[in-house]
Amino acid sequence: MTSTHDVISALLDNEPFDPQELTDALSEPAGRALLIDLAALRQIVQPADAVPPIATARPAQRRPWQLLAAAAALLLALTGGYVAGTRQAVAPSTDAPPPTRIVQAVPFTPTGGTP
Amino acid sequence: MDDAERLFAANHHRLFRYFCRAAGSADTARDLTQDVFVRVTRTRPPAGTEMEVRAWLFRIARNLALDHHRQHHRRPEPATLVADPSRPASQDVNAAVNQALAALPAVDRDVFLLREVAGLGYDEIARACELTPDAVRSRIHRARLQLRERLAAPIATFQTLAVRRTQHAHETIEP
Repeated sequence: MTSTHDVISALLDNEPFDPQELTDALSEPAGRALLIDLAALRQIVQPADAVPPIATARPAQRRPWQLLAAAAALLLALTGGYVAGTRQAVAPSTDAPPPTRIVQAVPFTPTGGTP
Repeated sequence: MDDAERLFAANHHRLFRYFCRAAGSADTARDLTQDVFVRVTRTRPPAGTEMEVRAWLFRIARNLALDHHRQHHRRPEPATLVADPSRPASQDVNAAVNQALAALPAVDRDVFLLREVAGLGYDEIARACELTPDAVRSRIHRARLQLRERLAAPIATFQTLAVRRTQHAHETIEP
Protein backbone atom coordinates (compact mmCIF):
# COMPACT_ATOMS: atom_id res chain seq x y z
CA MET A 1 0.00 0.00 0.00
CA THR A 2 2.84 2.36 0.82
CA SER A 3 4.27 1.82 -2.62
CA THR A 4 0.86 2.63 -4.13
CA HIS A 5 0.72 5.85 -2.12
CA ASP A 6 4.29 6.78 -2.95
CA VAL A 7 3.92 6.37 -6.67
CA ILE A 8 0.64 8.29 -6.75
CA SER A 9 2.16 11.10 -4.70
CA ALA A 10 5.14 11.15 -7.06
CA LEU A 11 2.77 11.39 -10.04
CA LEU A 12 0.87 14.29 -8.46
CA ASP A 13 4.07 16.11 -7.54
CA ASN A 14 5.84 15.78 -10.90
CA GLU A 15 8.49 13.67 -9.27
CA PRO A 16 10.11 10.70 -11.03
CA PHE A 17 8.30 7.36 -10.65
CA ASP A 18 8.37 3.84 -12.07
CA PRO A 19 5.64 3.52 -14.75
CA GLN A 20 5.12 -0.15 -13.91
CA GLU A 21 4.51 0.73 -10.25
CA LEU A 22 1.98 3.32 -11.35
CA THR A 23 0.23 0.81 -13.58
CA ASP A 24 0.04 -1.63 -10.69
CA ALA A 25 -1.21 1.07 -8.34
CA LEU A 26 -3.95 2.20 -10.71
CA SER A 27 -5.06 -1.33 -11.41
CA GLU A 28 -6.41 -1.46 -7.86
CA PRO A 29 -9.67 0.37 -7.02
CA ALA A 30 -8.06 1.75 -3.86
CA GLY A 31 -5.23 3.25 -5.91
CA ARG A 32 -7.64 4.91 -8.31
CA ALA A 33 -9.75 6.23 -5.44
CA LEU A 34 -6.64 7.64 -3.80
CA LEU A 35 -5.56 9.44 -6.97
CA ILE A 36 -9.03 10.95 -7.46
CA ASP A 37 -9.30 12.00 -3.82
CA LEU A 38 -5.87 13.61 -3.76
CA ALA A 39 -6.60 15.49 -6.97
CA ALA A 40 -9.84 16.78 -5.41
CA LEU A 41 -7.98 17.62 -2.20
CA ARG A 42 -5.54 19.71 -4.21
CA GLN A 43 -8.45 21.67 -5.65
CA ILE A 44 -10.28 22.35 -2.41
CA VAL A 45 -7.20 23.56 -0.49
CA GLN A 46 -6.52 26.33 -3.02
CA PRO A 47 -7.38 29.68 -1.44
CA ALA A 48 -10.27 31.46 -3.12
CA ASP A 49 -8.95 34.92 -2.34
CA ALA A 50 -7.71 36.94 -5.29
CA VAL A 51 -4.02 37.71 -5.25
CA PRO A 52 -3.63 41.45 -4.52
CA PRO A 53 -1.67 43.62 -6.93
CA ILE A 54 2.01 43.58 -6.25
CA ALA A 55 3.12 46.33 -3.87
CA THR A 56 6.79 47.02 -4.03
CA ALA A 57 6.87 50.39 -2.32
CA ARG A 58 10.16 50.31 -0.52
CA PRO A 59 10.14 51.43 3.06
CA ALA A 60 11.82 54.80 3.54
CA GLN A 61 15.47 53.91 3.33
CA ARG A 62 18.05 56.48 4.35
CA ARG A 63 21.07 56.80 2.11
CA PRO A 64 24.49 57.40 3.71
CA TRP A 65 24.68 60.97 2.39
CA GLN A 66 21.31 61.72 3.98
CA LEU A 67 22.57 60.54 7.36
CA LEU A 68 25.73 62.62 6.93
CA ALA A 69 23.73 65.72 6.01
CA ALA A 70 21.47 65.21 9.03
CA ALA A 71 24.47 64.87 11.34
CA ALA A 72 26.09 68.01 9.88
CA ALA A 73 22.88 70.01 10.30
CA LEU A 74 22.60 68.88 13.91
CA LEU A 75 26.22 69.82 14.62
CA LEU A 76 25.74 73.24 13.01
CA ALA A 77 22.61 73.88 15.05
CA LEU A 78 24.32 72.91 18.29
CA THR A 79 27.39 75.03 17.56
CA GLY A 80 25.28 78.02 16.55
CA GLY A 81 23.19 77.70 19.66
CA TYR A 82 26.24 77.50 21.84
CA VAL A 83 27.88 80.57 20.27
CA ALA A 84 24.69 82.61 20.46
CA GLY A 85 24.25 81.58 24.05
CA THR A 86 27.73 82.60 25.10
CA ARG A 87 27.36 86.01 23.45
CA GLN A 88 24.16 86.88 25.16
CA ALA A 89 24.96 85.47 28.56
CA VAL A 90 25.72 87.87 31.46
CA ALA A 91 29.30 87.51 32.55
CA PRO A 92 29.45 86.04 35.99
CA SER A 93 30.91 88.43 38.60
CA THR A 94 32.00 88.10 42.21
CA ASP A 95 31.53 91.85 42.93
CA ALA A 96 28.53 93.07 44.87
CA PRO A 97 25.87 94.78 42.77
CA PRO A 98 25.80 98.61 42.84
CA PRO A 99 23.51 100.12 45.50
CA THR A 100 20.13 101.38 44.37
CA ARG A 101 19.39 103.35 47.56
CA ILE A 102 21.78 104.91 50.02
CA VAL A 103 20.71 105.44 53.61
CA GLN A 104 22.92 107.71 55.65
CA ALA A 105 23.55 106.49 59.15
CA VAL A 106 23.02 109.23 61.79
CA PRO A 107 25.14 108.90 64.96
CA PHE A 108 23.06 108.31 68.08
CA THR A 109 22.86 111.22 70.51
CA PRO A 110 21.01 110.79 73.78
CA THR A 111 18.60 113.73 74.32
CA GLY A 112 17.59 113.48 77.95
CA GLY A 113 17.16 111.28 80.98
CA THR A 114 19.13 110.96 84.21
CA PRO A 115 22.30 109.03 84.43
CA MET B 1 14.02 46.88 -10.24
CA ASP B 2 16.83 45.22 -8.32
CA ASP B 3 17.38 41.52 -7.58
CA ALA B 4 15.32 41.55 -4.39
CA GLU B 5 12.37 43.24 -6.09
CA ARG B 6 12.56 40.89 -9.05
CA LEU B 7 12.60 37.88 -6.72
CA PHE B 8 9.61 39.18 -4.80
CA ALA B 9 7.67 40.06 -7.94
CA ALA B 10 8.23 36.59 -9.37
CA ASN B 11 6.97 34.89 -6.22
CA HIS B 12 4.51 37.22 -4.59
CA HIS B 13 1.44 35.26 -5.74
CA ARG B 14 2.91 32.05 -4.31
CA LEU B 15 3.68 33.81 -1.04
CA PHE B 16 0.21 35.28 -0.78
CA ARG B 17 -1.46 31.93 -1.43
CA TYR B 18 0.77 30.19 1.08
CA PHE B 19 -0.01 32.82 3.74
CA CYS B 20 -3.75 32.63 3.00
CA ARG B 21 -3.77 29.05 4.22
CA ALA B 22 -0.92 29.27 6.73
CA ALA B 23 -2.48 32.26 8.51
CA GLY B 24 -6.10 31.50 7.62
CA SER B 25 -7.06 34.98 6.44
CA ALA B 26 -6.51 37.03 3.30
CA ASP B 27 -5.95 40.26 5.25
CA THR B 28 -3.18 38.71 7.32
CA ALA B 29 -1.78 37.10 4.18
CA ARG B 30 -1.51 40.55 2.58
CA ASP B 31 0.36 41.93 5.59
CA LEU B 32 2.70 38.96 5.83
CA THR B 33 3.42 39.08 2.09
CA GLN B 34 4.38 42.72 2.51
CA ASP B 35 6.57 41.82 5.49
CA VAL B 36 8.45 39.37 3.28
CA PHE B 37 9.06 42.18 0.81
CA VAL B 38 10.42 44.44 3.55
CA ARG B 39 12.76 41.72 4.80
CA VAL B 40 13.94 40.78 1.34
CA THR B 41 14.77 44.38 0.43
CA ARG B 42 16.69 44.88 3.66
CA THR B 43 18.93 41.90 3.05
CA ARG B 44 20.72 40.90 -0.08
CA PRO B 45 19.33 37.65 -1.55
CA PRO B 46 21.97 34.92 -1.45
CA ALA B 47 23.84 33.96 -4.57
CA GLY B 48 22.71 30.60 -5.91
CA THR B 49 20.41 28.82 -8.28
CA GLU B 50 16.82 29.92 -8.73
CA MET B 51 15.73 27.00 -6.58
CA GLU B 52 18.10 27.95 -3.75
CA VAL B 53 17.04 31.57 -3.79
CA ARG B 54 13.35 30.68 -3.78
CA ALA B 55 13.94 28.28 -0.90
CA TRP B 56 15.59 31.16 0.99
CA LEU B 57 12.58 33.38 0.25
CA PHE B 58 10.16 30.78 1.55
CA ARG B 59 12.27 30.18 4.65
CA ILE B 60 11.68 33.85 5.46
CA ALA B 61 7.97 33.40 4.73
CA ARG B 62 7.72 30.33 6.90
CA ASN B 63 9.46 32.05 9.81
CA LEU B 64 7.03 34.96 9.53
CA ALA B 65 4.09 32.57 9.53
CA LEU B 66 5.45 30.79 12.60
CA ASP B 67 6.02 34.12 14.38
CA HIS B 68 2.47 35.09 13.52
CA HIS B 69 1.13 31.88 15.05
CA ARG B 70 3.20 32.39 18.19
CA GLN B 71 2.11 36.01 18.62
CA HIS B 72 -1.55 35.52 17.94
CA HIS B 73 -2.13 31.97 19.08
CA ARG B 74 -4.23 31.68 15.98
CA ARG B 75 -4.02 27.95 15.67
CA PRO B 76 -7.61 26.90 16.22
CA GLU B 77 -8.37 23.67 17.96
CA PRO B 78 -9.80 21.07 15.64
CA ALA B 79 -13.51 20.98 16.18
CA THR B 80 -16.51 19.36 14.64
CA LEU B 81 -17.94 21.64 12.03
CA VAL B 82 -21.54 22.60 12.36
CA ALA B 83 -23.21 23.38 9.06
CA ASP B 84 -24.59 26.90 9.06
CA PRO B 85 -27.41 27.24 6.50
CA SER B 86 -26.92 31.00 6.32
CA ARG B 87 -23.35 30.57 5.09
CA PRO B 88 -22.45 29.76 1.46
CA ALA B 89 -21.13 26.23 0.92
CA SER B 90 -17.77 27.58 -0.26
CA GLN B 91 -17.28 29.29 3.10
CA ASP B 92 -18.03 26.06 4.89
CA VAL B 93 -15.45 24.26 2.78
CA ASN B 94 -12.95 27.03 3.41
CA ALA B 95 -13.49 26.83 7.17
CA ALA B 96 -13.27 23.03 7.08
CA VAL B 97 -9.99 23.20 5.17
CA ASN B 98 -8.53 25.71 7.63
CA GLN B 99 -9.55 23.56 10.58
CA ALA B 100 -8.19 20.40 9.03
CA LEU B 101 -4.90 22.16 8.28
CA ALA B 102 -4.74 23.52 11.82
CA ALA B 103 -5.05 20.00 13.19
CA LEU B 104 -1.87 18.91 11.39
CA PRO B 105 1.55 19.12 13.03
CA ALA B 106 3.11 22.49 12.11
CA VAL B 107 5.89 21.06 9.95
CA ASP B 108 3.55 18.70 8.09
CA ARG B 109 1.16 21.57 7.43
CA ASP B 110 3.95 23.76 6.08
CA VAL B 111 5.46 21.18 3.76
CA PHE B 112 1.98 20.33 2.48
CA LEU B 113 1.11 23.99 1.83
CA LEU B 114 4.46 24.75 0.24
CA ARG B 115 3.84 21.87 -2.15
CA GLU B 116 0.12 22.12 -2.87
CA VAL B 117 -0.53 25.83 -2.60
CA ALA B 118 2.82 27.49 -3.26
CA GLY B 119 3.86 24.88 -5.83
CA LEU B 120 7.40 24.31 -4.59
CA GLY B 121 9.32 21.13 -5.40
CA TYR B 122 10.58 18.66 -2.80
CA ASP B 123 14.13 20.04 -2.91
CA GLU B 124 12.98 23.61 -2.43
CA ILE B 125 10.73 22.63 0.45
CA ALA B 126 13.56 20.63 2.00
CA ARG B 127 15.80 23.70 1.97
CA ALA B 128 13.07 26.05 3.16
CA CYS B 129 12.13 23.79 6.09
CA GLU B 130 15.63 22.43 6.77
CA LEU B 131 14.60 18.83 6.13
CA THR B 132 15.79 16.14 3.76
CA PRO B 133 13.82 15.59 0.52
CA ASP B 134 12.86 12.13 1.80
CA ALA B 135 11.46 13.64 4.99
CA VAL B 136 9.51 16.14 2.88
CA ARG B 137 8.04 13.36 0.74
CA SER B 138 7.05 11.40 3.80
CA ARG B 139 5.49 14.40 5.58
CA ILE B 140 3.53 15.50 2.51
CA HIS B 141 2.22 12.01 2.11
CA ARG B 142 1.20 11.78 5.76
CA ALA B 143 -0.50 15.18 5.61
CA ARG B 144 -2.42 14.16 2.49
CA LEU B 145 -3.74 11.02 4.11
CA GLN B 146 -4.84 12.90 7.24
CA LEU B 147 -6.51 15.61 5.20
CA ARG B 148 -8.18 13.06 2.98
CA GLU B 149 -9.74 11.54 6.06
CA ARG B 150 -10.71 14.82 7.73
CA LEU B 151 -12.04 16.39 4.54
CA ALA B 152 -13.85 13.33 3.23
CA ALA B 153 -17.18 15.17 2.96
CA PRO B 154 -15.92 18.25 1.05
CA ILE B 155 -13.87 15.99 -1.22
CA ALA B 156 -16.95 13.87 -2.00
CA THR B 157 -19.02 17.01 -2.66
CA PHE B 158 -16.34 18.40 -4.93
CA GLN B 159 -16.24 15.17 -6.92
CA THR B 160 -20.02 15.07 -7.27
CA LEU B 161 -20.08 18.66 -8.52
CA ALA B 162 -17.22 17.94 -10.91
CA VAL B 163 -19.15 14.99 -12.37
CA ARG B 164 -22.27 17.16 -12.78
CA ARG B 165 -20.28 19.90 -14.48
CA THR B 166 -18.75 17.38 -16.86
CA GLN B 167 -22.16 15.89 -17.69
CA HIS B 168 -23.59 19.36 -18.23
CA ALA B 169 -20.71 20.25 -20.54
CA HIS B 170 -21.28 17.08 -22.56
CA GLU B 171 -25.00 17.81 -22.84
CA THR B 172 -24.25 21.34 -24.03
CA ILE B 173 -21.83 20.14 -26.68
CA GLU B 174 -24.02 17.26 -27.92
CA PRO B 175 -27.49 18.49 -28.97
